Amino acid sequence: MRNLDESRAKWIRLRMGILSGIMALGLGAFVSSAYRVQVEDATSWREAAENQRQRRLHVEPKRGTVYDRNGTSLAVSVEVPSVSADVVEMLRGNDPKDREATLRDAAARIGKILAIDANDIYDKLAQKKRFVWLKRRISSEEAVAIREISDPKKTPHSLKGLTIDGEGHRYYPGRELGGPVLGFVAPDGFGKDGLELAFDEELRGHVEEVKGVRDRTGRLIFSEGTTDESALAGHDVTLTLDEGIQHVAERELDAALHTYETKGASLVVLEPNTGEILAVATSPGYNPNDYGASEVDSRRDRAITDRFEPGSVMKVFTVSAALAAGSLHPNDTIFCEHGTYKLGNVTIHDTHQNDWLTPTQILAKSSNIGSLKIALNLGENGLYSSFRRFGFGEPTGLPLPGEAAGVLRPKGRPWFEVETANASFGQGISVTTVQLAVAMGAIANGGRLMEPLLVRKVTDARGNLIRENTPHVRREVIPASVAHMVAEMLTAVAEDGGTGVEAAVDGYRVAGKTATAQKVDPETGKYSEDKYTASFVGFLPADHPRLVIAVVLDEPMIGRYGGDLAGPVFRRVAEASLRALGVMPEGGGKLAKVSRADDPADITLAVMKPKPEAVAAPQPPPIGPPLPSNVKVPDITGMAARDAVRTVTAAGLVPEIEGSGKLTRQEPPPGTQVPKGTSVHLVFEIGS
Amino acid sequence: MMRGLSRRDARLFGRAREHFDWALFLCACVLAVIGVINLYSATSVSKAALSEVYIQQVYWLVLGGILATVVAAIDYRHFERLGYVLYGLGIILLLLVFVLGKDIRGSSRWIYIGSFSFQPSEFMKLFLVIALAKYLHDDPKSEGRKLVDLLIPTVIAAVPMVLILKQPDLGTALILGLIFATICLLTKIQWRSVVTLIVSAGIALPLAWSYVLKDYQKKRITDFLNPDANILGSGWHAHHARIAIGAGGVVGEGFMRGTQNQYLFLPDQHSDFPFAVYAEDWGFIGCVLLVLLYAFLVLWSLRIAATAKDRFGAVLAVGVGALMFWHAFFNLGMVTGILPVVGVTLPLFSAGGSSVLTIMIGIGLLMNVSMRRFYQSG
Repeated sequence: MRNLDESRAKWIRLRMGILSGIMALGLGAFVSSAYRVQVEDATSWREAAENQRQRRLHVEPKRGTVYDRNGTSLAVSVEVPSVSADVVEMLRGNDPKDREATLRDAAARIGKILAIDANDIYDKLAQKKRFVWLKRRISSEEAVAIREISDPKKTPHSLKGLTIDGEGHRYYPGRELGGPVLGFVAPDGFGKDGLELAFDEELRGHVEEVKGVRDRTGRLIFSEGTTDESALAGHDVTLTLDEGIQHVAERELDAALHTYETKGASLVVLEPNTGEILAVATSPGYNPNDYGASEVDSRRDRAITDRFEPGSVMKVFTVSAALAAGSLHPNDTIFCEHGTYKLGNVTIHDTHQNDWLTPTQILAKSSNIGSLKIALNLGENGLYSSFRRFGFGEPTGLPLPGEAAGVLRPKGRPWFEVETANASFGQGISVTTVQLAVAMGAIANGGRLMEPLLVRKVTDARGNLIRENTPHVRREVIPASVAHMVAEMLTAVAEDGGTGVEAAVDGYRVAGKTATAQKVDPETGKYSEDKYTASFVGFLPADHPRLVIAVVLDEPMIGRYGGDLAGPVFRRVAEASLRALGVMPEGGGKLAKVSRADDPADITLAVMKPKPEAVAAPQPPPIGPPLPSNVKVPDITGMAARDAVRTVTAAGLVPEIEGSGKLTRQEPPPGTQVPKGTSVHLVFEIGS
Repeated sequence: MMRGLSRRDARLFGRAREHFDWALFLCACVLAVIGVINLYSATSVSKAALSEVYIQQVYWLVLGGILATVVAAIDYRHFERLGYVLYGLGIILLLLVFVLGKDIRGSSRWIYIGSFSFQPSEFMKLFLVIALAKYLHDDPKSEGRKLVDLLIPTVIAAVPMVLILKQPDLGTALILGLIFATICLLTKIQWRSVVTLIVSAGIALPLAWSYVLKDYQKKRITDFLNPDANILGSGWHAHHARIAIGAGGVVGEGFMRGTQNQYLFLPDQHSDFPFAVYAEDWGFIGCVLLVLLYAFLVLWSLRIAATAKDRFGAVLAVGVGALMFWHAFFNLGMVTGILPVVGVTLPLFSAGGSSVLTIMIGIGLLMNVSMRRFYQSG
C-alpha cells in the first residue's frame, strides 16, 4: 500500500515477506513430498501399482471337447453362471453401525432368490472378503433375479458387489452314453475318471498363471502380446468310438442285464483291420452329468478293468497256436473219449459225448477234451507263449486308467499238465473283454495283433492337429493262412449244430466262439455250480471281417450258456453296427444255408486253395437307411442351453456356445441342410 | 467507437490497455488450459456421465471469464460499499442450504435451482474476504490490535464457518478460518493477544475433536496419522492417489497413459484428485511446473496487495491470494499424503462450476486491484 508513513510501509513489507515465506514453505513442503514419492520411492510405488493391476490370474481355460469318430460331441464344456460377492464393495459408503443390518438384509434377499438359508449366506458375507462364492451353477432364472436386485435402475435399494461369472461346467449330451469310458470332471476342473482323467492334461489346457492386467472392478484386460483365450483352451479329443454303435451296444447290454439279471456286462466292438474301438459298453453304467448320484461300482469300465476266466473261447487260440506250430493239421481227427477223460487224478467232462472230431468240430461243439489233447500235443510252453503272443497276460495299451493285464500263470511258474489242459479251454487263467476282442481281431485280420485305438486324434482349440493315432501292428501272431483257416472253422459255430446259432446274422457269415465259464466261488475256492460267465466273441462278415464284437455277461441268473445269452446281444449289435458302417451283405448266415458240406473240414481245406470267384450273392433287402451325410439343423429357438446342446448334438452337429440363458440366435438357421459334424453357433442371452 | 462513451469510460478502457496485468492473466490461462486437458485425461475412460466433465469445465471457465471481466471492470470501491450486503447475501444462501439442500454422501452443501446447482460455501469465501477487507479498511489502526479489536472480524469469520461446519464441510470451514488467519497476520496484533490465541487454540482443539468433528472426519485424521492401517476403508483414497503419483516417477507415464487412472483405480479423479492423474501423466517435472505456477499466482497476488492503492485493495488481494494458496496447499498436501483427506478443490484443476466461478471471480478481483493501483482514489 502506498501513501503510508515509512515505518508502516516497512512493517507491511516485513509482514508480506513473512507471508510469502510461509506460503513458499508450504508449497516447498509439497514439492519435497512429491520428490520423495515420485523420485526417491518411485520404484516401490510403481511396484505397488503393478501389483494392483497386474494380477496373476488363474485363467480357467475352456476344457476341450470329446468327439466321436463322426464329430458328434460326447463331452462338452458349457459356461454356467455362478454368483459371487465382493463384500467390501457391498459395504462401501455404509456407516459402520449399519453394516451388520445391511449384510443381514442382503443375505435375506439373496437367500430368497437362490433358495439358500439366509444365515448361511450371512456367514459367508460376514467374513467381509473381497471374493466369496455365494452359489455356483445357478439357473438362468436365478441369474436374472440376481442381476435385477443389483441393478439400481430396477431395484430401489440395490445390492452392490454381486457378480455373476460364467464357470466352465462339463456336460455330457449323451448322458449315460459311454459314461465309464468318458469318466467325469470334478468341480475343480480336473478329470477324475476314464478319458477325462487319462487325457486330463490335454483337455484341460494350459492352466498357466497368466499375467493379466485387471482394472479396479477386477475385470481382465489382456494387454498386447498376451495370448488369446483359444491358445489357452484345452485340446479337443476325437475318439474312434461311433456314437451310434456305442448307443446300440449300451442299449443291448442293458437289455441283457435286465433280461438275464446279470451282475454286470461288458462289450467291445472293434474294427479288426485298424484296431479301432468302435464301442466299449459297460453295464450297469452311469450318467457322468450327475456322477455324484452314481455308485462307485457302476463307474468302472468293466471291459478294461475286470478280469474273468474266459472259458471255451480260448479254444480258438489253442487251435490257432497248434495249427501255426504244425502240431495240428486241419484234417486231423481227435478222439474225444465219449465225454469223460481222466488226466492224472482229475476228470474232465464234455457237455456232449463225442468220439472222433476234427478241429472244426471241436470248436463248433466246444469239446474240452479235444482242446486239451491239442494243447498237450503242442506242449505247455507252446501254448503259454502263444497265448502271450495273442496279447493275453499284458495290458493292451489303451490309454485308460486301471486297465487289467490278466493272469496266465497264476502261480508264477510253468503250468502242470492239468493246468495246461485247463488253460486250453480257458480255465485257471484270466483275461479282459478288450483282450478277447483284440486277440479275436488277429484271427479276423489275417494274424496281426493290432494295438487297440480309442483316440483317433487330438487337435488344439484352433483345429491344428496335435497328435494322430494310426493303426499299429503289435506283432504277427499267426500266419495269415492259419488265421483264415481258423476263421472259416469258426463260422461253423454260428451255424446249425454249433453252440452259437443265436449269434447268426441275416445276410452275413458270422465267425465266433461261445463260452460258458464256471466262476470260482470266492468262499469255497472251487468252481461254482450256478455262477457262470457267459460270453460270445466273434467277427463278421467272416470273409472280409469289418467288426469284432466281444460280449461278456457276468453271472446271469436266468440261463447260463454263452450262445444263448451273449449270442443274441452279439447279433443285434452286429446288425446295427453293420448298418451304421454301411457294410453290404455278402450272403451267408440264415439267408444262405446252402450247400454246406457235411464235413466242415472240407471247407477248411477249401480256404487253403485259391478261392473261386464268389457267386453273386442273392440281392439282400436294403438294411436300414444309409447313414445320412447331410442333416437338417434343428429348430432350437428359445431353448435353454442344456436342451439346445442336447438337441443339436443328437442331430449329429457340433454346438458352439456363446453366452448363457435362452437361445437368441443360431447360425446356420434352422432347417438348413448341412454335413454331419458341422459346427452350429449358438448365442444365448439372459432373458430380457 | 469512443464517441458514445463518457470520459470516465474512455479512461477505463485506456487503463485497461495500459495497466492490464498480463502476468496474472497468462498464469490463470495456463492453469485453466492444463486443468481442462488434465480433466480430459482423468475422465477419458469413465462412463457416460463423467466423460462430459471436461466440456462442462470449459463452459464454466468461459462463464467465469465473463464474470471476471465484469468484476475487474467495476471499480472495487463499489465492492467496498456493498461489502456487508454481499456478506449478508452469502449468509442467507448458506442458511438456504439447510432448507433446499439435498444430501450427498452424508452432507448437504448444494442448492438446487432446477437443473442448476451451486455451492454457496464456495462464494462465501469471496464474500468473507470482501467483508473483512471492508472492516479493516474502515478501522485503520496503526497500533497493535488487542483481542477486543479482533472480536468483530472474528465474528464475521465465525458465522459462516459455523454454518458450513453444520453442513458438514470441514474443508471449506478450514479454508475460511485460514483465510481469516492470513488476513489477521497482515494486521498488527499485540504480542499478548497472539499468545492468548495460541493458548486458547490449544484448549479448543481437543474440545473440537470431541464435540465438533464428525466420526468420518476424525477417521480421516487418524488415517492420515496412520496411513497404512486402513487401506481398504477410509484410507483408500489417499493410498490410491499416492500409488498413482508414485507410479508417475520423474517424467511421468505420458498424457492419458497413467494406468492407475486409466484402469479406474483412482476415485474422485475429476473432483478432488485431478492432481493424482496429472502427477501420474506428467511425473515429478510436471508437478514442479504446476507448483511453480501456483506459487507465482499466490506471490503475485501478494505483490498486488503490496502495491495496492488502499487498505481495502490490499486486504482483498491478500485474501484472494490466501484462498488460492490454502486451496492448492490442502489439495496437493492431501493428494501426496502430507495432510489428511479433506474435500478441498485444486484451483482451476478440479471440475465443478462453483469452484471455477469462485476462482475466476477471485482472479477478476485481483485484476481489479492490480489495474487500479496507479490511480488515486477519488
